Amino acid sequence: MTLEKTPPASADPSSPSASSLAWARRRGSVARFWKEYRTHRAGLLGLAGLAFIALIALFAPLLVGGDVQSVTNAPGTALEKPSGEFPLGTDQFGRSLLGLLIWGARISLTVGLLAAALSVAIGTLVGVIAGHYGGWFATVVMRITDWFLVMPTLVLAIVLATVMSRSIWTVILAIGVTSWPTTARLVRAQTIAVESRPYIERARALGGGHGHIMTRHVLPNVMPLVLAQTTLGISSAILTEATLAFLGLGDPLIISWGGMLQDAREAGAVSSGHWWYLAPPGIAIAFVALAFTLCGRAIEAVLNPKLGVAR
Amino acid sequence: MVERVFPRTPRRPARQPARQRPRLRLLLASGAASAALVAGTVIPLNPLLPAPQQAQAADGKKVLTVAVSQSVDSLSPFLAQKLVSTSIHRLTYEYLTNYDPKDAHTVPGFATAWESSADKLTWTFTIRKDSKWSDGVQATAEDAAWTFNKMMTDENAATANGSFTSNFKKVTAPDPETLVVELNKPQATMTALDVPIVPKHIWEKVGDFSKFNNDKQFPIVGNGPFIITDFKVDQYIKLKPNKDFWRGAPKFDELVLKYYKDGDAAVAALQKGEVSFTSGLTPAQAAALKSADNIKVNDAPGRRFYALATNPGARSKDGKKFGNGHAALLDPAVRKALFQAVDRKTVIDKVFQGHAVEGKGYIPPRFSAYFWEPSADQTIAYDPAEAARTLDTAGYEKNAAGKRVGKDGKPLDFRILCHATDPNDKAIGKYLQEWWGQLGIGLKVDCLDNVSDPWLAGDYDLAFDGWSVNPDPDYVLSIHTCGALPATPKDSGATDNFICDKRYDDLYAQQSAEYDPAKRAELVKQMESRLYDTGYMNVMAYPNAVEAYRTDQIKSITTMPEAAGNLWGQDGYWSWWSAVPADDGGGSGSSSSTGVVIGIGAAVVVVAALGLFVAMRRRSTAEDRE
Repeated sequence: MTLEKTPPASADPSSPSASSLAWARRRGSVARFWKEYRTHRAGLLGLAGLAFIALIALFAPLLVGGDVQSVTNAPGTALEKPSGEFPLGTDQFGRSLLGLLIWGARISLTVGLLAAALSVAIGTLVGVIAGHYGGWFATVVMRITDWFLVMPTLVLAIVLATVMSRSIWTVILAIGVTSWPTTARLVRAQTIAVESRPYIERARALGGGHGHIMTRHVLPNVMPLVLAQTTLGISSAILTEATLAFLGLGDPLIISWGGMLQDAREAGAVSSGHWWYLAPPGIAIAFVALAFTLCGRAIEAVLNPKLGVAR
Repeated sequence: MVERVFPRTPRRPARQPARQRPRLRLLLASGAASAALVAGTVIPLNPLLPAPQQAQAADGKKVLTVAVSQSVDSLSPFLAQKLVSTSIHRLTYEYLTNYDPKDAHTVPGFATAWESSADKLTWTFTIRKDSKWSDGVQATAEDAAWTFNKMMTDENAATANGSFTSNFKKVTAPDPETLVVELNKPQATMTALDVPIVPKHIWEKVGDFSKFNNDKQFPIVGNGPFIITDFKVDQYIKLKPNKDFWRGAPKFDELVLKYYKDGDAAVAALQKGEVSFTSGLTPAQAAALKSADNIKVNDAPGRRFYALATNPGARSKDGKKFGNGHAALLDPAVRKALFQAVDRKTVIDKVFQGHAVEGKGYIPPRFSAYFWEPSADQTIAYDPAEAARTLDTAGYEKNAAGKRVGKDGKPLDFRILCHATDPNDKAIGKYLQEWWGQLGIGLKVDCLDNVSDPWLAGDYDLAFDGWSVNPDPDYVLSIHTCGALPATPKDSGATDNFICDKRYDDLYAQQSAEYDPAKRAELVKQMESRLYDTGYMNVMAYPNAVEAYRTDQIKSITTMPEAAGNLWGQDGYWSWWSAVPADDGGGSGSSSSTGVVIGIGAAVVVVAALGLFVAMRRRSTAEDRE
């Protein structure tokens, strides 16, 4: 937004070494990023929402205690209406739904973060390698990527979740290995763009090998893109996790939001009108997915000025 | 430092906000749209749409629609084993004998009379003269003789009901009204042969009985009260009444079994009047339907038992052991301790919410002649402290981490096979995990869509198990004999849980040769007692049959047993054969209150979103307007 030069880091009056300069530069770019990010109201809103959910998930053991999952010590009776004691009512075992909702945030967030990280890691690896080497190798790799891209993600994830044992790791893996192709394509494009810059040619002339170029020059330059992609990927990963759990493919003994929806369906909450069982987990899923999307969009807009102008 | 771009400055008039708002608006609009979509899909039949389909179709046909969820395994009576398929065969083929709806005593079916010779080895059935196949051919003893002979000579034809004919020596039909069965040794199930009799002139053309599923040519020729006219896998099965049925034609003009894979969808369809009957209700659904208009909830003692099966070490008849069942479960003390820690009362109260009876013996109390309960000193009562003592004395001490350690020094960790489609399995799995966790025993609940593969391979420690019991208990007793074990580890036998116990087998042989009902019942009870003591089959509950039907479509219907009985999955064709359509055949116009509430909810969401949308729009154009 502003055209002023980045102010030099203030904290080193003495002779600056190379690494302290680099750190100053990084601090500066983070500050610049934050300054830019702050201008996006929706992004801030999303960030606030995320911070809220993350705090709840982190402090769930203090807020509700691990005992909330226990069926044998359930305090209420089956499917109670919302009341003072149970603000969101109870499930079919008599457990407090508010407690389960808070506890479920942990699984939903964990799965969302890890699955998105896995997906982006695979995508980045494939994208950088394909973009760097090029030629027939890239063609083969990108055709494989295309094949994954046209494959319906959910169907593939369902197949994976069915053939493997039911645990959250299976779900993470199923989401991770099915949702990477978009990242791979984006990263490959960015890699090709970066590698056409003169300094890469210079590095090569100075004897930089494939590994050096990929890790020291290309990777740092695609990282912003990867960061934005991760943030956007988390929301779709959370949605996929909820879908898989709702379809009964998650670990039925672990409390997650999608699993709560599945439990509600199995208890017949829809046809018997127990809306308080269905609505909160659904709204929570929508809320977190929205928050991550808002953040992701804002990061994308900050890191990619072209995108902002185009819109 | 704080340079806000957001507030409008004269030089850059609100470009930034203008760029953001459409996105927010789009989000809101799509949110509203998806909310409406979700409401539409969750409530399978959108209550905002009018014109519910009724029992009375446009041409005045009275249709009885039954919601089902179980897939048909085969329409061939020689292969079908699932409840939905055998129920259809009850409706479409005659069996030699039938069970009375009042008390399940044997009544005439295809046979009008029967008697055994003095040596108990020859049975003579008199076949009725007034039964015709639906293609007009007379049904005779020859058809029955051909059906039994086929099962005796062709292994593939014996898949479903082979246990009835394995003891048959010779079956003949000296004349069209007489069927003679000669036995190798006495057989107590001769008046309870649950074998559908098929028309010889149709079935003798069939080549491979293991592949023929009887679902290509419609209508399917039969002589029961109904005739199958159409079948689409997992969509519907249509049946029309057999007008010439000797006991009298059914009253409805059509019987349709319609597939609803989702219980909530079936209940919604019932509330709308799209189906006349649905079964397998959850406690919440039953409670909600009880207060609904024109709907009767039938909560009847079931004919099923629901048990905890323990792998006794899978083996085949050739003596080979296979599978990977936990070695500690071979110790009776461990099995006993596990069941001592299962609070059956909580299972009934919390999981079934009262729609079940606490488990005792193997056969449900509904079959009072064979119902057995353990004596006071035999009973494995719920007592967690006693369970811990049992394990302590048997040498399974707790280690530093509080886990029980087996004889091999490893912590006791069991797996339990659970049906992913059965919510009760999952629910009880949660309880077991906590109960046994307190004992110091770990439990991994393996919920699978297809439990058959690990089950048949013996790759399980414990499993949730359940069978529907017939008025004659022979079959459910036979699945725990050594004779039911698979021939080799690669085969699949009729065995339920690989149990093979000498004393049990001796009693089984005795009861199957005992023609005196009282003496036979006594032997069956001894078998149940023996089974209870082995601890391989621990019955937790007898679940009720919780069903509901529309009283504005079905005026009356026979339950079995008549007092407090079930409708779906009867041991006869009584319910659907006897169902009388309501006079006006529907007129249920009003959709359910729940549907309306949710419909209104969805409408409110849409309206609110629209309001927001308009507001945002007005705001975004505010600067232009001013």
